[in-house]
Amino acid sequence: MNIELLCVVLLVVYVVYIVRLIWVLPFFRSYGSGNDESIDRRGPLNVFVFLGSGGHTGEMLRLVENYKKMVLAKGNTVYVGYSDEKSRIQFIQQVASENEGCRFEYRRLKKAREVNAGLFTSLVSVLQTLVQSLAVIFKVSRAMSGKPHLVLLNGPGTCCVIAIWFKVIEWLNLFQPSSNIVYVESLARITSLSLTGKLLYWIADLFIVQWEELCLTHPRAKYYGVLV
Amino acid sequence: MMVVMASKTVLVTCGATVAFPRLVDVVLRKKLLERLSDAGFRRLIVQYGKGYETEFEKRLDAMGCVPTQCSLDDSVLGTTATGSCCRSFVPKGLEIVGFEYSSKVQDIVRIADLVISHAGTGSILDALRAGRPLIVCVNDELMDNHQQQIADRFEEKGYVWACKPRESEIAECLSRSQSETLVQFPQAYSAQFENDLSRLAFK
Repeated sequence: MNIELLCVVLLVVYVVYIVRLIWVLPFFRSYGSGNDESIDRRGPLNVFVFLGSGGHTGEMLRLVENYKKMVLAKGNTVYVGYSDEKSRIQFIQQVASENEGCRFEYRRLKKAREVNAGLFTSLVSVLQTLVQSLAVIFKVSRAMSGKPHLVLLNGPGTCCVIAIWFKVIEWLNLFQPSSNIVYVESLARITSLSLTGKLLYWIADLFIVQWEELCLTHPRAKYYGVLV
Repeated sequence: MMVVMASKTVLVTCGATVAFPRLVDVVLRKKLLERLSDAGFRRLIVQYGKGYETEFEKRLDAMGCVPTQCSLDDSVLGTTATGSCCRSFVPKGLEIVGFEYSSKVQDIVRIADLVISHAGTGSILDALRAGRPLIVCVNDELMDNHQQQIADRFEEKGYVWACKPRESEIAECLSRSQSETLVQFPQAYSAQFENDLSRLAFK
């Protein structure tokens, strides 16, 4: 009798989480373009940005700067994820020092994969990143939950880990609102997506490419012109 | 009558990641320096990239360039502009300023009248966003073919002149830059994107 009850409960939980998973993945939701006047766009925004390194950091800084009216509005809280100190300094010099109306919080994340690393080294390093980043993303996700928020990502590999944790947290916590992950593929990708892009295509709530022809092969992708 | 600007500046930039010796090597050839000078340039700034300092100075010495007082302030080049040096290419009175890398490259671009850059997106955007005419030189020895792709695509659209690090090709781009005007690179702001972002954030 008790076993039967347990089975029913487990089955219900199982079904609930399967449904929740389908709900959490962006494929079954649509964020169509268009104007929606009923949305209240006031109030401070919480933004998580990840500075990949080198060219990724460069493009992210440009993106944030170009849309600063919204992203860096007065009163916003900006969580800055970074893997290398150079990117953090660049961010402070070019963005933080010029926008004192925002609160900036820096969160270091271990790099998922060094360029040209071997398979085993890559594997160990990915595992370390997974564990360390969960703690970081969990806290950021809790801090942003219930408030208007965005997660801006543009590569490289560490972004996959970040995006997956945001979505896993959203999936397991039934009351967690959408993570609002925005992925902007690099300007350097013209005819094919990067490895990170290929994965995040299935996870990001808004997936953006900067060359129109990528939309032909990737119908979920949105194109707004060059954004950086 | 043609008016020659007081001090036209050309900037050659190799990017922060890897040095691009072949580009610097080609630009520093006598014929090209003469061409630059004939086109009215009085100052050549070269950001040559990591580990190329000794080679750079050797090249200048070999051409008989003499040390000179730099017309650019240290504050313009940036405090982190390591290994900077300044020489003069005497026969043409062309000032040559070289440095490894600077965090102020975006500002230095603004004092240039022409930019010759490697095909990295960062350097390309620095020049185009500053509205500077740009010659993009593709490092065809890199394994990564994105640089070739991006250079081709930008040239197709008329935003840049593209070439390989060969004297004849750079010379040709240089003469094109003196007679042609580039298509203006579209601005990065999209109201639609901003709208979609706020729909997502504030829904």
